[in-house]
Amino acid sequence: MKLTERQRDALSELINIAFARTGAALSELTGHRVLLEVPEVNVYRTAELRGALAKFVPGDVASIHQVFAGPVAGDALLLLNYAGAVQLTDLLTDEHKPSNFLDESAREVLTEVGNILLNACLGMFGNLLNVHVTFSVPRLHLETLDELIASTTDKPEMHYALVVYTAFQIRDSSVKGFLVIVLSVASLDRLIQEVDAWEAQQGR
Amino acid sequence: MSGKVLIVDDSALSRRTLRRILESASYEVVEADDGMTALEVYFLEKPSLVLLDLVMKGMYGLDVLVKLREMDPNALVVVASADIQSSTRKMVDEAGALAFINKPFISEQVLAVVEKALAEGATGETN
Repeated sequence: MKLTERQRDALSELINIAFARTGAALSELTGHRVLLEVPEVNVYRTAELRGALAKFVPGDVASIHQVFAGPVAGDALLLLNYAGAVQLTDLLTDEHKPSNFLDESAREVLTEVGNILLNACLGMFGNLLNVHVTFSVPRLHLETLDELIASTTDKPEMHYALVVYTAFQIRDSSVKGFLVIVLSVASLDRLIQEVDAWEAQQGR
Repeated sequence: MSGKVLIVDDSALSRRTLRRILESASYEVVEADDGMTALEVYFLEKPSLVLLDLVMKGMYGLDVLVKLREMDPNALVVVASADIQSSTRKMVDEAGALAFINKPFISEQVLAVVEKALAEGATGETN
């Protein structure tokens, strides 16, 4: 299953709309200008996921993981390399002295940022599809990319991953990350149908 | 306007953020980090208003809302969640919440909703 260019554009725009509000509100929270760059969207088979992400995250990965259930169901993850996760929390918590590790307070900030971004994205899909999606409590995991992929793609029905590449720009820094949404064929198919319908309605 | 507000959220960051916003406007704040504790604190502290998260460890926020309204049919509850779905808003409206605030929190927005909810509560315009 591959996205056409129009579908990719439409999905990027939808996620961009969801992120715009989130970026603005994170700015309010931190007192700093927070921009979320226009996201790049791709669909991969779960078997290809490692290759797609490995270049970006060679070492340990910090991920915020939420399972979502309903007519569209799957696993949603905000994925950052470890150094990026530390940098992001430093920027958001106004730490003047850069740190090298994620302490309890930093982990909490990261979990909540993941919760907000994943909800913005999945909630927008819920609204678009006119379905109700329920979320699990967000959990932060620190592990290798292989461990992460093995734990999120171990369900046989989960064949595809919608991967959204984005960057947080805070002050003069940029932290890059991925949103990864692992879906069944049926869920991805339903999502793409609705995105097509949304795209066709625009400008009418 | 003043009053006591109970913040129910399993995220310490969210509790801190809401506490800062509310205390800046002279509200008294009490906290609970899960649903069961929230019911206990509500009973003991009798707050004027509850700010309630939905997705929490243990009891789900919607169940907490229903229990609070069973305990006190006049309980004033505002849901404060990252969930942006229209269907979620509808569910919490039907369960008796006065309003819905989305995370991340914006000070002016939170204070406006809290003030309006307390004013509605004072005039008996609750669900």
